Amino acid sequence: MEVYEFEGKTAEEAIKNASRQLNLPVEDLKVDIIEPGSAGIFGLVGTKKTKIRITVDTDDSIDSSEDMLAAKEILGTILELIPVQAVINEEQTDGRISLNIEGDVSGILIGRKGKTLDALQYIVNKMVQKRLDRKPRIVIDSENYRQRRIESLTQLAIKMGNKAKKLKKPVSTNPLNPHDRRVIHLTLKDIPDLNTKSRGDGILKKVVIIPKR
Amino acid sequence: MMKDLIAYIAKALVDKPEEVVVTEIEGEQTSVIELKVAKEDLGKVIGKQGRTARAMRTILSASSTKLNKRSVLEIIE
Repeated sequence: MEVYEFEGKTAEEAIKNASRQLNLPVEDLKVDIIEPGSAGIFGLVGTKKTKIRITVDTDDSIDSSEDMLAAKEILGTILELIPVQAVINEEQTDGRISLNIEGDVSGILIGRKGKTLDALQYIVNKMVQKRLDRKPRIVIDSENYRQRRIESLTQLAIKMGNKAKKLKKPVSTNPLNPHDRRVIHLTLKDIPDLNTKSRGDGILKKVVIIPKR
Repeated sequence: MMKDLIAYIAKALVDKPEEVVVTEIEGEQTSVIELKVAKEDLGKVIGKQGRTARAMRTILSASSTKLNKRSVLEIIE
């Protein structure tokens, strides 16, 4: 259980603030008004803000462990049917379920550029969503591939950024999935003389790196 | 094995798992895995822009690599 306090000119406004900051829908908030506040005289003298207290049930631990069990069971069954011998280690970090596959050293579960890992992740997410009728975020990894991928994409972004600057011309990457594109955009976000844009249709798009003039 | 893999995944994605039928036609080099689902469920095994079907094909190809086989997934309308 977590308790927060918010303020607003009216109770309504305070609740809206709370909903926005906690990123929870208004209907899900348990609201107590601590200080009703007042409009003051002519809205000028003695105005007081309304203070509210929000209680958030953090009792979703049961739910998320249910998500985790479902995800682990589904991934486990798929691996058994492929068939590969592997151990799945689970971890939970800020609302995300990470499943790490250990034991397969042939790399077939990762695939070219992580294609198989992405497919497994996509399918397991879909299957869990269907079974539990909600959308937990499940990340599937093996041999630390996701981290390695981020590192190599960061390097690629820097290299292509330098190239764009040197040539004074836009350069573009290969078609990338949303996650990979995000890494490129974020890496180059703080470099002042470069712009990045996604171009293309569908899930896979190219990132174009444009030097500013 | 590959048949069971596709059946397991497909049944978990559709509204009518009892109507999921998977058959494996073994050829000399390539096996064809045929997936049949209820008409209303076709979209669920294909997905937006064919993403679900593509993911199933990718997983199937990992499985065939492991088994030293070749296989294709066909979704039957």
